Amino acid sequence: MASVEISGLRKLYGDVVALSDINISVPSGTFFTLLGPSGCGKTTLLRTIAGFHQQSAGLITIDGSSIEHLPAHQRDVAMVFQDYAVFPHLSVRDNVAFGLKQRRIPAIEITRQVEEVLEVVELGKFVDRMPHELSGGQQQRVGLARAIVVRPKVLLMDEPLSNLDARLRVDLRAELRRIQRDLGITTIYVTHDQEEALAMSDVVCVMEGGIIQQAAAPIDVYLRPSNRFVASFVGANNFLKVENLKGESVLKCCGGSVSQHLPADPAGPVVCALRPEDISVKVDEDPSSFLNTKISIPVQIKEVSFVGREMEIFATTDNGEALKAVGRSDSNVIALPIDSRAWFCVERENLSFFKDNELGERV
Amino acid sequence: MDFSIPRHRPDFWTWITILILAVLCILLILPILRVLTLGFVDPDTGSLTLGNFIEVFTRNYYLNGLKNTLFVGVLGTLGACLIGIPLAFFTTRFLIRGKTLISTLAILVLVSPPFISAYAWIMMMGSNGVITNFFDGIGINIPTIYGAHGIILVFSLKFFPFIFLMTQTALNAVNKSFEDAAENLGCSPWQRFVKVTLPLVFPAVSTGAIICFVLSIADFGTPAILGRGFRTLSTIALSAYRSELGGPPTMAVTVSILMMAISMIALVAQRRILANRRYASSLTNLPVAVKLSGWKNAAVHFFSHGIVFLAMLPSAVVVYTSFLKTNGPVFVGGFGLESYDRIWRDAPDAIYNSFLFAIIAVTFITITSGLISYVIVRRDTKAAAAIDFLMMVPYLVPGVVMAIGFVTVFRNGMPNFFGSAVLLVMIYFIRRLPYGVRSTTSSLRQIKPSLEEAAVNLGATPLGAFVKITVPLIFPGIVVGALMSFITAINELSSTLILYDAGTITMPVKVYVAVLDGEFGLAAALSTILLLSTGACVYAVFRFAENRNSAFL
Ligand SMILES: Nc1ncnc2c1ncn2[C@@H]1O[C@H](COP(=O)(O)OP(=O)(O)OP(=O)(O)O)[C@@H](O)[C@H]1O
Ligand SMILES: [Mg+2]
Repeated sequence: MASVEISGLRKLYGDVVALSDINISVPSGTFFTLLGPSGCGKTTLLRTIAGFHQQSAGLITIDGSSIEHLPAHQRDVAMVFQDYAVFPHLSVRDNVAFGLKQRRIPAIEITRQVEEVLEVVELGKFVDRMPHELSGGQQQRVGLARAIVVRPKVLLMDEPLSNLDARLRVDLRAELRRIQRDLGITTIYVTHDQEEALAMSDVVCVMEGGIIQQAAAPIDVYLRPSNRFVASFVGANNFLKVENLKGESVLKCCGGSVSQHLPADPAGPVVCALRPEDISVKVDEDPSSFLNTKISIPVQIKEVSFVGREMEIFATTDNGEALKAVGRSDSNVIALPIDSRAWFCVERENLSFFKDNELGERV
Repeated sequence: MDFSIPRHRPDFWTWITILILAVLCILLILPILRVLTLGFVDPDTGSLTLGNFIEVFTRNYYLNGLKNTLFVGVLGTLGACLIGIPLAFFTTRFLIRGKTLISTLAILVLVSPPFISAYAWIMMMGSNGVITNFFDGIGINIPTIYGAHGIILVFSLKFFPFIFLMTQTALNAVNKSFEDAAENLGCSPWQRFVKVTLPLVFPAVSTGAIICFVLSIADFGTPAILGRGFRTLSTIALSAYRSELGGPPTMAVTVSILMMAISMIALVAQRRILANRRYASSLTNLPVAVKLSGWKNAAVHFFSHGIVFLAMLPSAVVVYTSFLKTNGPVFVGGFGLESYDRIWRDAPDAIYNSFLFAIIAVTFITITSGLISYVIVRRDTKAAAAIDFLMMVPYLVPGVVMAIGFVTVFRNGMPNFFGSAVLLVMIYFIRRLPYGVRSTTSSLRQIKPSLEEAAVNLGATPLGAFVKITVPLIFPGIVVGALMSFITAINELSSTLILYDAGTITMPVKVYVAVLDGEFGLAAALSTILLLSTGACVYAVFRFAENRNSAFL
């Protein structure tokens, strides 16, 4: 159990900036997830913490002491690999015992701990199997057991579930979280699967282009994304151009009729974000009656696709911006012919505004 | 802007890289550099000069040597192509009985030392050879094996397996659709072979041909045994070296530079040609072997088996001869074990030395090649790339040249500091190291780096992870590499001839000397021991290697 502080961390591969100015703080016992698109530097960050890469600048401390001078094998952070990395020539028992043997723990104690941890990951029956006799999910459990049995200060996991099939991924996700809670082990977890990140984490840290975009509790990342990238990456979002009239924003698509007071006066252009699941579709009601709490956008329906539990409605506004809504399947809506008119209604409090520049900070 | 300097801490593998580079500098770069510089120095005045090269390019003695070398090199390679390409084509495109036998025999031919087959041909077609005498008996005078044509014959039959095995691999990977398309467009089978198939396998053929050519130029034993006045650069280099003993080996070195230059030029030319000829091919439509019938079938079988029979014949003759009854150097009719008896009296030290030197060298090769392959495969540094490149150099430097380099570095100036036993082990080590490295490297490339990282992450030191995880996983590759370097080390002749002394004679040298003395029985018995050890190693390679053929190339 330990806390991890990273400050001013940079990592260059030659001229390529893989990480720039990373500052994060992972309190003891936290499940901390790095989430971001491919190539954003998640693996690089994790491997730098593990000591497989040397940082170009910055500081990593565990429990307040810098680990920079420690080579990888002395860092006492355990890693679970995406490709399992289970030693193919060693039995399950020897795989799990590997780290304990390096720590010169007495043989009897090793046997006890190995069996104990294999119970925890529900592999008790498989102690004497060879890795090639295990399924992918079982191999990944060996990888996990091997990492946690050494009681590392920090557990690092790089997309540990991404090679598994969808069902197993969901099962193992819950199990990982349970084990992590039971042991109270500080965990840094890498994934590009946002559902996984939101479901498992205490803190989700969204990365893009080697830069931390936002680090917060899952619900905050979802409801209060700190910038336009986070808003579009975590969950789906529609973005509408907004005419910014001195703090009173006006949604252009509605010809100035729909206006919304902005919390602060941002200089420059602004975009409005509305989540598809916050949109309700009105077909024949007059939306003007509830304009105080909601806005309603007149649209032309382009496509309605029924995907089972829910339906997806694609539409365009009067000035041609595309919008998507998701909602409980409704046969009235599904029956709508293409190009028919409808209203997309959203609670005003569910609207978010971002600056329309490169950074796209939240307004 | 980032102004901070990347901080690097040297780890275990950095030190290993430095150590490897140091060893390569001393054992590889230094001798070659010494050879290169000595060639430009006037032996009498010690001043810089081009005089040595002018002498080589103006005196007939050297010019003929150069011409002869190129002549047998080119024609030997051509012969190997003429044998190897059809054989590869037949065995991949037609159903041939005993295909595995053909490949196996080809591999045996490939690994058995060339001087043995040269001298076996003397026993068959020398001035007193079995075949010569037979035809003499019925009144026909056939030409003897001595001279250029004999050398070319031996080279062709000795080096064709390179072409054969490489072309075979390539032919197996040619997408059949190309050939079908050609046929569909109206090509006759012969046109199709020349216009479509051959260009597609050209990269493999030319790589094989380059190997043949480089080996032919470097080969010492064959021209030395069969030459009889027909001198090539390698025999000239050795006699120049012998006549210059005491002084600086200037002319030997100058000839050596010429030999290296030829190999280099050939390699660079081949790379140039290949550069614009890379064919990506998806293996969706695998080639199939068709069943021939009638005389075509018979002819193809006759050719394929006939060729490997002919190539194996020398080894068979040697083994057969070793069991002939002898009295001193004379065969007296009937069978007997006198030749083996003589080994125990005359040459036990040669056997002992051969195995001792080879085993010590291979031990070092095995350890070093494990480390080198790790550095090459896992470390993305300039030093690693340099080591990877340097591993190609020993293939290109003829044994005679390397040995002369060794003499100039380790003997001149520090007499007796290194005994010749140590020099021999060192030169076997450096010349055969690439065989070990190549094999372990290809094994290591198949091992995921995350396995070693996992071990380090769990607390193993880099060396610990290497020993506990990497080594067990690449063990088959290590064994194959050790066997390959053993085979090539124990059969080494050319550099040993320069470095050995009375106490450090080896089997190949003893065979060579015995052949020159006309002691054919003794030579046959020693050669049989060499062939047996080689055969045993080949068998072991077959057991360990994942891909039988590629292990030998
Ligand atoms: N060894 C390397 N040399 C040069 N550039 C590298 C190297 N490794 C990674 N990069 C670059 O650094 C950036 C970050 O890579 P990283 O592997 O950390 O991404 P990631 O977030 O883990 O992506 P993914 O989700 O695909 O695994 C990428 O742009 C990548 O191209
Ligand atoms: Mg990654």
